[in-house]
Amino acid sequence: MTTNSVNYIEPTTEELSEGVRLRRRKRAINFAIDVFLIVVSILMLLPLVFLVANAFKTPAEMLSWPPTIIPRDPTLANFSAVLGETPLLRWIGNSIAFAVMSTIAIVATSAIAGYIFGKFRFRTMNILFALFLATAIVPFEVYMIPLYFQAKSLGILNSVWGLLLGYLVMSFGIFLIRQNVIHSIPDELLEAARIDGAGEFWIFLHIVLPLLRGALGALAVLAFFQAWTAFAWPMIVATTRTSYTIEVGLALFQTGFTVDLGRLSAASATVLIPSILLFVILRRNFVQGVASTGLKE
Amino acid sequence: MASVEIQNVRKAYGDVETIKGVSVDVPDGAFVVLVGPSGCGKSTLLRMIAGLEDISGGTIRIDGRVINEVEPKNRDIAMVFQNYALYPHMTIAENMGFSLRLAKKSKEEIAERVNDAARILGLTDYLKRYPKQLSGGQRQRVAMGRAIVRNPKVFLFDEPLSNLDAKLRVQMRAELKDIHARIKTTTVYVTHDQIEAMTMADRIVVMRDGIVEQVGAPLELYDKPVNTFVASFIGSPSMNFLSGKVAEDRKSVLTENGVRLPLGPEASVLAGTAVTYGIRPEHLAIASGNEGIPMTVSNIEPTGSETFVQGTVDGQKFSAQLRERLFIKTGEVLNLALAPTNSHIFDAATGMRLG
Repeated sequence: MTTNSVNYIEPTTEELSEGVRLRRRKRAINFAIDVFLIVVSILMLLPLVFLVANAFKTPAEMLSWPPTIIPRDPTLANFSAVLGETPLLRWIGNSIAFAVMSTIAIVATSAIAGYIFGKFRFRTMNILFALFLATAIVPFEVYMIPLYFQAKSLGILNSVWGLLLGYLVMSFGIFLIRQNVIHSIPDELLEAARIDGAGEFWIFLHIVLPLLRGALGALAVLAFFQAWTAFAWPMIVATTRTSYTIEVGLALFQTGFTVDLGRLSAASATVLIPSILLFVILRRNFVQGVASTGLKE
Repeated sequence: MASVEIQNVRKAYGDVETIKGVSVDVPDGAFVVLVGPSGCGKSTLLRMIAGLEDISGGTIRIDGRVINEVEPKNRDIAMVFQNYALYPHMTIAENMGFSLRLAKKSKEEIAERVNDAARILGLTDYLKRYPKQLSGGQRQRVAMGRAIVRNPKVFLFDEPLSNLDAKLRVQMRAELKDIHARIKTTTVYVTHDQIEAMTMADRIVVMRDGIVEQVGAPLELYDKPVNTFVASFIGSPSMNFLSGKVAEDRKSVLTENGVRLPLGPEASVLAGTAVTYGIRPEHLAIASGNEGIPMTVSNIEPTGSETFVQGTVDGQKFSAQLRERLFIKTGEVLNLALAPTNSHIFDAATGMRLG
């Protein structure tokens, strides 16, 4: 057959116009999605923007209508008042100590328990795991008071240890790690290590933990912010001014006779800094899943 | 190097027995393949040799020592898994040197042995990479390397080639055989692929439902299968089976409607015995004239070098692999000739080989 005899079929005008129409429609839908997402993100960001702006406003400007985003007459008075009259830095320090220690405890307990529940499948383990999960449906507030008496009898009220008592274990964390272990660590990897002469603890430390890095990173972020934003438990455990966490401290601005919006905003804006820093550092872990498992899928 | 002796080994999960008394001898330096359909217990048996499964009964000896209660790491074995089981967060060199590091060998010794193994396997250029940066075949070689580096008494392979594509599988088959020829370590290899078994093994162990059906050299199994299961499992395409009765002259088998199938001289069976007559498709040829076995053709598959024909003989399924080109249509009758010495005869009731 020669090339001359090949017939190319030209698309008809109808087909062409339909193609154009479909492409336009697709573009319009994409545009609508973008607009919707932008509006939603603005709505979510706006309170934060106002919070930061208010921190720099004078009391008069704060109450003026319409509200301004960029203060006309920026002042640091709120910050100096907050930092001078309240132990704000101390509260932030308490919160950081509490959140970091709680994160370490939760990551450690979840990694060990999740691995064991994921890879050592005995009937008793299944029952234990069910019990662990069951604790997730009991609200913290239900066992908060018994826990308080426990903290009291241990003599750790008004200390970081007292705060920690309620935030050592996270049943969701155990569940998350267990699912990750089942999904991303094949038995053969552990068996190969056992044949190669590795002990169980060595396997956990050198094979399981590195492979769970992504999941543990995500869990660390969750655990940190859970402790960072905790309110009820620190409220009852920490009763002296110096042992407050930042959440409890901030609530103080709203009690008494007035709500000091300027100082509250300044304190809140200061508190945002550590959270944002941490999120930026751990963002990759938070988003990224576990990398290739090195096995053929 | 060492021998592996498996004596009357059993494995039970509760009341269910999956390995029902298996005995296999693997001589020093041999390449033994355990083959069988999925669920026959071959992988379980291998894992019992490795120490990854408990042994419910019987004994396993490596180099004369009973290892039933010995921890996997103290059995001096190396295992290659189907999914390679490489540590994804370690480089190829770290993966290969892993067991030596655990054995607290010096850095120099680890590097030397890893380099030696890498040279054998052609992996020298990849030592600093991670498993995910390698192709399937290369990962397979790393898994091999991890085993070689240890210089164990026994290699255990659990379907190591089944994740590779067909072409690579053929290539790796030859490479594995070549490596074994060079280092001569006793090897137990599990596969469900009878071609892998035939091409690689010194000895094949055919298993079904937790028992050993037959042990022998590849061609022994092909030429003298002990029963219809081994006969149909070994060889591709599968052996044809026709049921019939031994004729009065005891030199042929007659099917229900009188198709005469010739018997070899060694078959000594009583006239009138109900038997299963077996003949491999590749042992058939086109008969001259109207003689031979009449086969009604239903499907013709020409591959160029050969022609594969499927159809029926006396209402029973039958196939032939012919060297000749065919110029007939489906529905027509093809007369096939065979050499009586190539025929197999089995007891119709038990499926066991007769004579």
